Amino acid sequence: MRSIVDFASEDVSLDRAAILRSQGVPDEAELSENFEKIYIKATELFRELAESKGIIAGITTSRFEEVFRGEGLNEKRNPVEEIYRNSSYLALFAVTLGPVLSSRVTELFNAGDYAPGYMLDSVSSYAADKLAYLAAEHLEAELAGGEAPAVSCRVLSYSPGYCGWHISGQKKLFEALYPEEIGITLNESCLMTPIKSVSGVLIAGPGEIHEFVNSYPFCNTCAARSCIERMRSL
Amino acid sequence: MELLNQISENLQNGFDEKVAALTKEAVEKQIQPEEILNNGLVAGMNIIGRKFKNHEIFLPDVLLAARAMNCAMEVLKPLLIKEGIPIRGKVVIGSVKDDLHDIGKNLVAILLEGAGFEIIDLGNDVPADKFIRVAREENADVIGMSALLTTTMPVMKKVVDLVKDEGLYGKIKIIVGGAPVSKEYALEIGADAYSFDGANAVETVESFFPKRGS
Ligand code: B12
Repeated sequence: MRSIVDFASEDVSLDRAAILRSQGVPDEAELSENFEKIYIKATELFRELAESKGIIAGITTSRFEEVFRGEGLNEKRNPVEEIYRNSSYLALFAVTLGPVLSSRVTELFNAGDYAPGYMLDSVSSYAADKLAYLAAEHLEAELAGGEAPAVSCRVLSYSPGYCGWHISGQKKLFEALYPEEIGITLNESCLMTPIKSVSGVLIAGPGEIHEFVNSYPFCNTCAARSCIERMRSL
Repeated sequence: MELLNQISENLQNGFDEKVAALTKEAVEKQIQPEEILNNGLVAGMNIIGRKFKNHEIFLPDVLLAARAMNCAMEVLKPLLIKEGIPIRGKVVIGSVKDDLHDIGKNLVAILLEGAGFEIIDLGNDVPADKFIRVAREENADVIGMSALLTTTMPVMKKVVDLVKDEGLYGKIKIIVGGAPVSKEYALEIGADAYSFDGANAVETVESFFPKRGS
C-alpha cells in the first residue's frame, strides 16, 4: 500500500489549551485582549494557508529493520525496536503543512509583526504534530477496511529523533519512502524542508504493544516527553 | 515626567504608533534622547520583563511591546548616534549551518534588541567562519548561535575553536541555545553561556556587561 493523502485543514483540530501550554501559558491564565486577537487571527491564517499532505507506504518487517538500523547510531536499548517487532502492520510516513505557512511566519517577522508571527509558528508546530496523529488514524481506518477500527488494532507514529531512534535514521527512511513526491526534502544534517514536517513509522498492533516504561537512560534528557500522553490515549 | 510615563505605558500595551508619536513629541520638547530611552522606553520594557517573569503576561505581549520599542528606536537611534551615546553591546546572532529553523533565534534577537543591545542578525544556515568574520568586522561583543537539531550543533564547537584560533577567546563572549542544546554541551565546547529561553538569554547577555550607570 502506498498512498498520498490530502488532509483538509478543518480536520486538524486546534486544541487552544494545548497550543497555549506549548507557549508556557498555564490553563487558568488570564490573557490580554491583544493576546486573544492574535490567537484568533493565527488560527484563521492557519486554516487559509495550510497545505496539509501526507504520504504513507506499507513496509515489511524485514525491510523496516534495515531502515530502522539507519546509520547504526540508535540507542542499544530502545522502545521502538521492541514495539515494531510485535506489530501486525508497519508503514513509513511523512506529513507536512507545506511551505506557505512557514514563509508567512518569516514575512511577519521581517515586517516587525513578531507577536502574530510567533503565534502562527506556534499554531503550525502544534498542527504539524497533529498531522502525524491524523496519518495514524488514516492507516487505522484503512486497515479496518471500511469497518470501525478494531479495538485490537491501534496505530501510533514513531519518529527518528525520538525514543532512541537516531535522527540520522531519516536518511534511510527517505530513500525507502521518497517524500520528495509531496515536496518534503531532507538536507545533509537531517533537517526537513518545509520546516513543519514530520517523518517516521506508523506501527499497528494491539494497544499493549505501544506501552513501555519511560526509564531508558535517554528519557532523562528528552525535551518532548509526549510518550506519556500518547500511551494514555490508547 | 508625564510624557515619559505615557511612553512607558503605551509601550507596555504594545501601541506601537502611539509610542513612536510620543517619542517624536518628546524629542520636539527637547527631552534628551538618552532620558527618553532610559526613563520611557527601557523603563517600560523593564516592567514588561518583570510581568513576564511573574507570568502576569506572556510572550506575545512581550513581542508587541518589543515592536513598539523598535518603532520608537527608529526615531531615537540617529539622535543617540549623533550624541555619541554608547550602545549597550553588539551581538552577532544566527542559526548555524544547515539549520533552517529560526524562530527561537529571532525571539532571542528581538528580546535582546528590546533590552538595548545592537543586533546583527545573520539569519539561518550560517557557516562557522561567517560568525567570526562579521563579529570581527563589526567589533561585536557577543556571538549567539542557535540550533534546532543535534546534527547541526557541531558547528557551534567549530565557531568556539575559530574564536580561540583568532585569539579572541574571552574577548568575544559566546552564548548558545536551541531545543537540543544544554548547559553541559555549552561547557563541553567552551562556550561562555547557554540559555534555555529568550528572557534568560537577556539576563545572561546583560551579565557579560557592567551594570548601566556603574
Ligand atoms: C515544536 C517541535 C516540532 C514541530 C515544529 C518544528 C519547528 N521548530 O518549527 C514539528 C512537529 C514540525 C517538529 C518536527 C520535528 N522534530 Co521537533 N520539536 C518540537 C519541540 C516540541 C519544540 C521546538 C520549538 O519550536 N520550540 C519553540 C521555539 C520558539 O523555541 P526554540 O526554537 O527552542 O527557541 C527557544 C530556546 O531554545 C532558546 N534559543 C533558541 N535559539 C537560541 C539561541 C541563543 C543564542 C540563545 C541564547 C537561546 C536560544 O530561546 C528560544 C526562545 O525561547 C522540540 C522539543 C522542545 N521541547 O524543545 C522538538 C525537537 C526539537 N524535535 C525533535 C525532532 C527529532 C524532530 C523531527 C526530526 C522528528 C521527525 N523525525 O519528524 C522533526 C524535524 C523537523 C524538520 N523540519 O526537520 C527533537 C530534536 C532532537 C535532536 N536529536 O536534535 C526535539 C528536541 C524533541 C526531542 N526528541 O527531544 N518538531
